Amino acid sequence: MSLMTFMEAMGTSNIPLIAAFFIGLMMAISPCPLATNITAIAYASKRIGNSKHTLLVGVLYTLGRMFTYVCIASLIVWVGVNTQTIALFLQNYGERILGPFLIIIGILMLDLIKFNFSQNNDKLGALKEKLANKGLIGAFLLGIIFALAFCPFSAVLFFGMLIPLAISAGDGILIPSVFAFATGLPVILFSIILIKSVSKIEKIMNKVQIFEKYMRYIISIIFIAIGIYYIWIIWL
Amino acid sequence: MISGCINQESNNEINGNAIADTSNERTINIDKLEIYHFHGTHQCYSCITVGNYAEETVNTYFADEVKSGKIVFGHINGDLPENSDLVAKYGATGASLWLGTYTKDGQFSAEQNTNVWYKIDNKEEYMTYLKGVIEQKLAGN
Repeated sequence: MSLMTFMEAMGTSNIPLIAAFFIGLMMAISPCPLATNITAIAYASKRIGNSKHTLLVGVLYTLGRMFTYVCIASLIVWVGVNTQTIALFLQNYGERILGPFLIIIGILMLDLIKFNFSQNNDKLGALKEKLANKGLIGAFLLGIIFALAFCPFSAVLFFGMLIPLAISAGDGILIPSVFAFATGLPVILFSIILIKSVSKIEKIMNKVQIFEKYMRYIISIIFIAIGIYYIWIIWL
Repeated sequence: MISGCINQESNNEINGNAIADTSNERTINIDKLEIYHFHGTHQCYSCITVGNYAEETVNTYFADEVKSGKIVFGHINGDLPENSDLVAKYGATGASLWLGTYTKDGQFSAEQNTNVWYKIDNKEEYMTYLKGVIEQKLAGN
């Protein structure tokens, strides 16, 4: 049995959660979401010396994706928003803004442009800054935004396969959540692999700070390169 | 997994028998079958393949029906304003393959086929599968 035959059998399973998981896996390995997942993996490796942080970034990125998919599915299943309207809108605009967005983030990460944010002394402000510094909010936001950018094939999987499944089951939360978990699974798995492999490199190099500095440049270049890829496929 | 495949095959057999039993009666009721490949201006590789294989299936196995007007095939660019009515009529949410059936009493029903996306890496399997789906539609199923 070929891989695609297996994916079809699982993706059309009578058990909605199994079907949702395998449709999500199809999404994770299709070209466009794969590109965003590679960006997320690069982002997760930003503070590669801190294994807890790397894994948390992977998990929060997946939760961000989950937030988007659950919101869209709930709007369709429970609020009654027209699937076609929301699908065409997101395909028209989501993907168009993703390329420029990635390039801007990449440039910001290179520290070519400096921003001075006003000091906020209250506790909430301090917590926000702490989380932002750790890149956790960033990971969650990346998940939200990347999930909003629907390529033609990812739209087929989400609006053509998953949404009808959610509608027929009357479920706007669990089915899209399982789907989102599967789409983010490669990022979580790669985060774990990164942690394992870096701890070995660390022993040899023992110079994580220098390694992290170079990683930041590499990640910025990955963001810019994938941003250019999106602009190329959409705008040119 | 294995049992799932066996069930799928046996279901197809059951469906096949059902077609054989009732096809004469139901075929009379089908006036026209539209097969539309909806896509955007910017197409992915899979989207182009789904459309091209569908067109080849129709031209290879249903040339007479196309000639007589019983089957209509088209690649529809959903981004073009002139196609907006057709996109709305079918409810296409992006790149997709749809089969729209008109009965002789004026009824219209549209169905999206998502299984074709799993078969784009095997042209023969794709064409055999879609041929079967079209035959079922023409038989009124």
